[in-house]
Amino acid sequence: MTQLIQTIVLGLLLGGVYALLASGLTLIFGVMDVINVAQGALIILAAFMTWAMWSETGLDPLLGVLVVTPAMFLIGFGIYMATVRWIQGKPPSTSVILTFGLALVIEGVMGMVWTATLHRSTPSYFDESFRIGDIYLRKGQVYGCAIAVGVLAILYVILRVTWLGRAIRAVSANMSSARLVGVNPSTVAALTFAVGVATAGAGGSIASVLYPFLPASHYQWISRLLGIIVLGGMGSLPGAIVGALLLGVAETMTQIYISPQWATMVPWAVILIVLLVRPQGLMGQKLREDVAL
Amino acid sequence: MRRIVWLLALLPVLLALVLAAGCGGDDDDEGDGGGADTTATDGGGEASGDPIRIGASLPLTGDFAEPGEAARRGYEVWMEMVNDSGGLLGRPVEMVIKDDQSDQNLVVTDYNALIDQDQVDLLLGTFSSLLNIPASAVAERAQMVYVEPAGGSPDMFNRGFEYLFFAQQATAPHQADLFSEWVGGLPEGEKPATAAYIAADDPFGAPVAEGIQEQLEAAGVETVYSEIYPPETVNFDAIASDIAAQKPDVIAQGSAGLQDGVNLITALSAAGYSPKQMFQASTPSFADQYSDAIGVENTEGIFYAVSYHVDAPTPGNPEFLEAYRAKFNEDPPEDAADGYAAAQVLQAAVEAVGSIDDQAALKDWLHENSVETILGELSWDETGAPEQAFLLAQWQNGDEEIVLPEEAATSDTIVNPKPPWSGG
Repeated sequence: MTQLIQTIVLGLLLGGVYALLASGLTLIFGVMDVINVAQGALIILAAFMTWAMWSETGLDPLLGVLVVTPAMFLIGFGIYMATVRWIQGKPPSTSVILTFGLALVIEGVMGMVWTATLHRSTPSYFDESFRIGDIYLRKGQVYGCAIAVGVLAILYVILRVTWLGRAIRAVSANMSSARLVGVNPSTVAALTFAVGVATAGAGGSIASVLYPFLPASHYQWISRLLGIIVLGGMGSLPGAIVGALLLGVAETMTQIYISPQWATMVPWAVILIVLLVRPQGLMGQKLREDVAL
Repeated sequence: MRRIVWLLALLPVLLALVLAAGCGGDDDDEGDGGGADTTATDGGGEASGDPIRIGASLPLTGDFAEPGEAARRGYEVWMEMVNDSGGLLGRPVEMVIKDDQSDQNLVVTDYNALIDQDQVDLLLGTFSSLLNIPASAVAERAQMVYVEPAGGSPDMFNRGFEYLFFAQQATAPHQADLFSEWVGGLPEGEKPATAAYIAADDPFGAPVAEGIQEQLEAAGVETVYSEIYPPETVNFDAIASDIAAQKPDVIAQGSAGLQDGVNLITALSAAGYSPKQMFQASTPSFADQYSDAIGVENTEGIFYAVSYHVDAPTPGNPEFLEAYRAKFNEDPPEDAADGYAAAQVLQAAVEAVGSIDDQAALKDWLHENSVETILGELSWDETGAPEQAFLLAQWQNGDEEIVLPEEAATSDTIVNPKPPWSGG
């Protein structure tokens, strides 16, 4: 019984971290129809920046979030202005190719600056756990989940309360009508992209504590994140959270009760099953193709 | 129109970025192009005539970028030392090194290109069993001697190849022989009762764990956990909690590289379970990268097997160390030493035969003779598998020490049992 509870706890904690990493990806898709394959590389970039600050100044990676997130916002804005805005309105597949190219460029730049060696922030708590009876909770993951809750709350407030949020929702609902009421879709898209990339800043900071990383580590993240947002419904923030938690639990349950050998297959199996059974995902809106019918 | 102007303005910037990405990870003195990288030397010594061209493809980018780069450095140091002392058969040596991006398909393309287009005179191997398995098949078909620095999977040597030679001391199933013997020989009371085995689904990692399991079971140690995981596994928390629940005395991990080994240690530490003896394949040999990633206090007492140690009293090692330190300003990692040793093996065969024209004569000589390398003396059976034994190493006080065999030991104690993790 303890083992079962421990497995679920491990899965939920893992899922919380996944939710943090997936939120920006789903936000960018929901508003812009852009599948940002470079999100994984941007997370690793944020991890490197966090690590560099931690190793140079001893700044705790959790505080590093406060520095790295605004920096990633600016980087996101720059990337949008330099590249993504040229393909706005083109089919999403165009964005896959563009952002994959971006991911490779970011990987190359990271390799040049930090070399292709393994890095990790190791503050004192990196391998410690909180204990409740026989159950343990890895501190890094608990903090990661707390940051996830914070980031998701801020995103919720931005989307529901601010002018930007209303504009984002307006653009995502109907771009031409939004333009009629004075919303400039390209400004909104630039800010959305920047906010989405900023979440990679928060995610990358905590990821730098949890798992060691190299420039090429982004591949292992992007596959999971795509699985999560397909499961949750592409573009749906609550869907991404539910999808992340489900995937986290599915992964740990598979590792313990079936075999570790099958665990890395879980995200891919999820994508396949969801696409066959419920293409819009758990909480996604109807597919555009359905609406057109 | 304005758009087009902008695009044109942006093009050089993008181009520069892409070019920069092409030579990522290269911060040493050798200039690098994108794909093939021909490093001619400025001679020295008395080497003259047409250079002897030696081709290799290495994983300079991708998953094995780290060891691939180390192997490249080993090859280059060897080339410079040979050229400084008069060349090979009096001719200068030139290495043609391609980047296979850690890709099994690309490595095949690369070796075909080295043989057919670049028409190199000799070949050296790539890094890892995963890449050497397909690459060695290309060399075998072309009937060219293929000495590889890292790739001890049994799958390398069960194909009846004649031109393949592995330039380390033993194959994967025998990597941990000294560890298994030592554990099995512990006095009653200290001898472990149970063990857990966790191995990457990797042609090298899995046989290492299987080899230990076989030998420890024969010594009466009960197996309480034995699982295989995909090498790309990142999250080991559930695996560690499962292992911890079995409370094994020994944990042996057949890790595929650095990351999977590091992630298991951190997960075990978070789970608060420390075994009495812990063995990992290859991971602990990554020196500072390993101790930085798991925390240096967590390294204490962890066993692993190595082919090379900087203080090894082997012939030629002081000269290699001097040249390597002068060029790269650091101690050579094991993978660089293995690359150097592979090149030494090829050199010995060429010098003994006295010609590079007859590859069959080179392989016949290697099958019949042994070669002195910086890893010690190496000899091969008819499959190209080496017949010696690895050194057993252990992390002690933040340093890597050789503990067995006694004649090669750099420390006279063995830390046993392993102290608890820092986070536990």
